[in-house]
Amino acid sequence: MPSSSRKGAPKDPEAADLFFKEDPVELFSDLHEIGHGSFGAVYFVSKCIRTVYKVFENVAQKYDVMNDAMSLGIHRLWKDALMHLMSPTPGTLLLDVAGGTGDISFRFLDYIRSRQDREARRDTLSRQSASWQEITEAYQPGQSDTQGGVQAVVCDINKEMLKVGRQRAADRGYGTGLSWVVGNAEELPFDNDKFDFYTIAFGIRNVTHIDQALQEAHRVLKPGGRFLCLEFSRVSNPLLSRVYDAYSFQLIPVLGEVIAGDWKSYQYLVESIRRFPDQEEFKAMIEDAGFFKVQFHNLTGGVVSIHSGFKL
Amino acid sequence: MNTREEGKAEQAQSRQCDEVKRTFQTAAVLRRVTDDPKQEQVPPSSSSFHQHYQSTPPDSESSRPNTSYADQGGEQAEDYETEEQLQIRILTAALEFVPKHGWSVEAIAEGAQMLGLSPAAAGIFSNGTGDLILHFIAQCNSNLSEKLAEQHKLVQLGQTEPKKTDEFLRDAVEARLRMLIPYIEIWPQAMSILLLPHNIPESLKHLSILVDDIWYYAGDRSSDLNWYTRRAALTGIYNTTELVMLQDSSPDFEETWKFLENRVKDVMNMANTAKQVQSTGEAVAQGIMGAAVTLKNLTEVNQRR
Repeated sequence: MPSSSRKGAPKDPEAADLFFKEDPVELFSDLHEIGHGSFGAVYFVSKCIRTVYKVFENVAQKYDVMNDAMSLGIHRLWKDALMHLMSPTPGTLLLDVAGGTGDISFRFLDYIRSRQDREARRDTLSRQSASWQEITEAYQPGQSDTQGGVQAVVCDINKEMLKVGRQRAADRGYGTGLSWVVGNAEELPFDNDKFDFYTIAFGIRNVTHIDQALQEAHRVLKPGGRFLCLEFSRVSNPLLSRVYDAYSFQLIPVLGEVIAGDWKSYQYLVESIRRFPDQEEFKAMIEDAGFFKVQFHNLTGGVVSIHSGFKL
Repeated sequence: MNTREEGKAEQAQSRQCDEVKRTFQTAAVLRRVTDDPKQEQVPPSSSSFHQHYQSTPPDSESSRPNTSYADQGGEQAEDYETEEQLQIRILTAALEFVPKHGWSVEAIAEGAQMLGLSPAAAGIFSNGTGDLILHFIAQCNSNLSEKLAEQHKLVQLGQTEPKKTDEFLRDAVEARLRMLIPYIEIWPQAMSILLLPHNIPESLKHLSILVDDIWYYAGDRSSDLNWYTRRAALTGIYNTTELVMLQDSSPDFEETWKFLENRVKDVMNMANTAKQVQSTGEAVAQGIMGAAVTLKNLTEVNQRR
């Protein structure tokens, strides 16, 4: 009889279809390490694999709703701020890590599209007497895409999140220009010097070895490329900090239970936020990975912070 | 059934292992191909990197071969030490693309691309457009200073005649304004950006330096109210001439230079007139004093009689 450590061999034949065909121990061993005695992670691994799978599936579907509920919709503003800071120009390639449901990538595509529209409008205005050839060139569709149409690559460790993301993309009409890849932030399946931008929004605190993820980011970025990280951070204002703590520890797990039916993982979420290094510490870690001109911008009083660095 | 599943599982597992191995290998191969020092993993933080650079120059020489600017023999691993220089280099490269994209982040992105960097490097400048314009102005001003210094040297060596003040001013302002000609179409955009509140201090600083330089090389060593009046006058001349130049469509901007000539003449006349008014005023005052004294004498004479 195969022991429980044998991969891909469920004790329950009829539930065989529920399981990932990938190696669950490998996939979930990260979570075990994240634990370090934290209530939530230990809980994950001690439960049986079938329930864990369902949790992920649940989380994936409700991820966006939970985000809206927990942050009162402000997460959209945070992501918009990230995009304005990034200010990408057309023709650049984005790698959005831990970007499962695609929020950042969609905004990226929108920004680039509006930039192109603005340039096109400026061109037509200035070209009062353009030749017919120039006019036809200006009307060429698809001159915006690069690399065979891909402008943003969304990478996530979780297939379900990517599925939800792909569905959202299809709903909103972002067909071309997006690529969906399963991958681990500590070991990205990409070559060196490939991307102009690397973003990780609310994902890096879930990475076991943050320095490895930063090194991978440094590796896959082109020279001159930019690393951007949007993450929860330390609130410095004591008054705001008290309100924030009360809100996090008391309200968020309740919301998690009510909306997603899952108290524990949202309590784990709040704890993981508190455990994440503060702004200066994280900035030092980014510099250690080889980035230059590292800065951070606090949003909402330090609740979230955007760290940015360049590979020069 | 178990064995079949086992077999499938094993296949899946070995496929995964291969994938991982593959990515590792490509990563390793790429590292070997590009350079060795990159395998010194975790490059230290920027401050210690500086020390690292100082102590081991040969190592850092090959550390960033992908970028076009890191391959000059004498300059090694200049990223930390010359971050400022890198910024200046990007802005200078970006100036080429300004006629096409205007003073904008796109121009800076293209400039960075020309240097071999990703367009994302344009994000280094938090005030991109302002920085670009101010860099251009600083460049023009230093060019002008160099030219004036050379002329000054020639005059001192006795190889050329010193110019008269109004001619000197005219030539200096004309030389400076001619540097705008390649960008004259988009200069109005630049001027409007310079008027934004966060750009005003810097642009005023550059303007005052420019005017000061011109007057210094014109020979002004005054230390009284003249210092201020002269610079104020030249600032007025420069600004108004610049505005005229923007909507001048005559060949080689002849109208602008004529306008400039008239303004300089006006200022000179004003200076002369001021002097004349002063001396006239003095003379008039003296005359009145004399008349008053005479009157006093007359009345005293009356009293004494």
